[in-house]
Amino acid sequence: MKNKLIPFLFLFFAACSSGVTDKKHESPQYDGAPVYGDAFITAIASDASFLNPILASDTPSGAVNAMLFNGLLKYDENLNIACDLAESFEVSQDGLVITFRLKRNVKWHDGKPFTAKDVKFTYDILVDTNTKTPYSSSFMLVKELEIVDDYTVKAHYEQPFAPNLESWGMSIIAEHVFRGTNFNDAPANRKPVGTGPYKFESWQTDQKIVLKANPDYFEGKPYLSKYIIRIVPDSSVQFLELRNESLDSVDLTPDQWNAYDSFFKSYDKYRQATFSFTFLGFNRLRKPFDNKDFMKAVELAINKKDIIDGVLLGTGIEINGIYPPQSWAYKEIPKSEYDPKKALDILKSIGFLDIDNDGYLEYNGKPFDFTITTNQGNKQRELSAEIIQQHLKKIGINVNIRIIEFSTFINQYIAKREFDAVIIGWSTTLDPDQYSLWHSGQTAPRQYNFLSYNNPKIDKLLEQARTTFDMGKRKKMYHEIQDIMYEDPPCIFLYFPDSLSALHKRFRDVKDFPIGVGYNFIEWWTPRAEVKYSFQE
Amino acid sequence: MLFEKIKMKKLFRNKPAFCALILISIIVITAVFAPFIATHDPSAQDLPRRLSAPSAAHLLGTDDLGRDVFSRTVYGARVSISVGFFAVLITLFIGVILGMVSGYFGGWVDSVIMRFTDIMLCFPTFFLILIVIAFFEPSIINVMVVIGITSWTGLARIVRAEVLSIREREFVLASKMLAVSKTRLLFAHILPNAVSPIIVYAAIGMSAAVLTESGLSFLGLGAQPPMSSWGQILMQGKDYIYVAWWLSLFPGIMILLTVLSFNMIGEALRDILDPKDSKI
Repeated sequence: MKNKLIPFLFLFFAACSSGVTDKKHESPQYDGAPVYGDAFITAIASDASFLNPILASDTPSGAVNAMLFNGLLKYDENLNIACDLAESFEVSQDGLVITFRLKRNVKWHDGKPFTAKDVKFTYDILVDTNTKTPYSSSFMLVKELEIVDDYTVKAHYEQPFAPNLESWGMSIIAEHVFRGTNFNDAPANRKPVGTGPYKFESWQTDQKIVLKANPDYFEGKPYLSKYIIRIVPDSSVQFLELRNESLDSVDLTPDQWNAYDSFFKSYDKYRQATFSFTFLGFNRLRKPFDNKDFMKAVELAINKKDIIDGVLLGTGIEINGIYPPQSWAYKEIPKSEYDPKKALDILKSIGFLDIDNDGYLEYNGKPFDFTITTNQGNKQRELSAEIIQQHLKKIGINVNIRIIEFSTFINQYIAKREFDAVIIGWSTTLDPDQYSLWHSGQTAPRQYNFLSYNNPKIDKLLEQARTTFDMGKRKKMYHEIQDIMYEDPPCIFLYFPDSLSALHKRFRDVKDFPIGVGYNFIEWWTPRAEVKYSFQE
Repeated sequence: MLFEKIKMKKLFRNKPAFCALILISIIVITAVFAPFIATHDPSAQDLPRRLSAPSAAHLLGTDDLGRDVFSRTVYGARVSISVGFFAVLITLFIGVILGMVSGYFGGWVDSVIMRFTDIMLCFPTFFLILIVIAFFEPSIINVMVVIGITSWTGLARIVRAEVLSIREREFVLASKMLAVSKTRLLFAHILPNAVSPIIVYAAIGMSAAVLTESGLSFLGLGAQPPMSSWGQILMQGKDYIYVAWWLSLFPGIMILLTVLSFNMIGEALRDILDPKDSKI
């Protein structure tokens, strides 16, 4: 499970979202002025690891940290870069210096003021090699972070770096909390102090995390008094809880999404396109997976429509590339065709032949099979694997399936390159820079190009595109990347899943923004008559 | 021979055991003749008709990939019965040999084997199995072997106790005087006299093995796709319990019936084979 909120690339566990929304029911927007009170209860599938945005790299921690911390910049509701803790920012002509002027009325949860020192401290921690953070790479490109005065900082870059503004969405942590402690296991990692709309209250391991409204939040006190995150590991149990109305917000599987309407009497359903794609990737360090034609043949033998219709039930799209249509770098690319006959011809031309007539192909005279590995807990991926297994059986390729717990899968299989083929997904940033995914220099054990994709033309374009500021030129380069990838695909793209969720109807002022439903969370409220949980203030 | 006949008669007169025997026979026949009984290919997918309710075309409905649940349940019987059978076979092999050696020879051999048995008993079997499966790849063969080599402890103790008493009898002494070899004495003379508790243990062991296999498959550690087993269908059903009750119900019933039948037969056998029961 990897984070979605901080703008970096992650291997994603279930669908993560930000994108265009499509609300199914319209809840009546009431009347009256907002009132304070009530609680919002949501569920996560596994416990958070660190309530420290620098160290946390998993979705559950990310979801909690987003309520507790702020970055200097953020994406606004229309996916434009906007100020968060910064009052304003300025990029120099050559793109090498960014000047941030900070908001003056921001206070940490313990009452101390937020200043430029905290920004500097966060930067120092990020580039410190002792810090166990996955987010350092973008900040390594900063030559110097200069404190001009208490409320002004300047970031100096060695060379132009196009996604640099996005990287400043990184949450800022408090210097006075961590100063003098061992950062990697500081007590504050379980008792966070941030600047966000909610303050930390309690954390019961594997039970729940409770946050309370921050009365001094710089955008105003949130109306909902408590934000409770319960840890409910099983999606079917989450759904049963939804039917009991004991959870206010639940992620849905496509089948749950299509379940009887009566289950959703008190809920609105939300569907959002995502910036994440699921793919079948082959390990190019092994034979015959390094052969372009082998992958081409496998792609021709898989009917992707079966997966979209039968597994996603239409709640996702088939795209033969790395960007979804809502990305500015998207280019329409022809879909792959389904032609098992042609697949078989290609396989025969590269040494596959059924010698002993057992219905399965032999490779260079030896029996051939391969294993598709995927993670537990994502039903769509498990079902996709079974469908692919069935489709490949039709052309005589014997496929085994292994389903493995997520962290074991990442650490023992992906990181060690111990796989033939995997079904997994990338949840990407809004910025189209995917240097770390496909550049041939990014193949070290912990790096992200675990498929060992190597195309010199792509390498060059990726390098150029991330140092180009001109949007038009950048766009052209990303279009070119997509064209080259069509000829030499890094993997077999299966689908872009939509994120599906349900939200209780008692909340008012819930708005659909292009970035997602929770954007204006601090403005949500419940009318007195419908308050479900009350607290003494 | 007459004695055996009377026992069989008693078994048939015991109504629950008789029903259980019929049920087991049906399940075993189903497992053996699965290809003839199944109405569909158990791994043939039919995505447009996924999760459809029981009907004439699909007797027990379809699962989340449109596969016929009836056919999958029929093939699942193969997995359950074969796992039960082979696991119990391994259990018997290890348990009987260790028990007999330990009981007959006594002394330090007995101490070593029994302490080892005690150590094995310390570990909760299911968790031991989980660890072993986690080390090796999950597969149905591994499940059989692992259940077999972890559940012999009780049997070894029972057999030892039986042998302890049998070895003091006159016929054993007589055999020894006739210089019968030790192996022959153990297997031809002592074992037949200790067979009743072993049969009872085997029957109950079958039900335990079937249940363990279902549990492991439910956790995704047993049968691997596209092979089907009852525990696995049950696990699939869990995700759809609010729309597709048939996915959980039928394999659940099959597990229940199988385990119940083996238990009832075990109970009945225990009653019948009890030497203290003088009514013949």
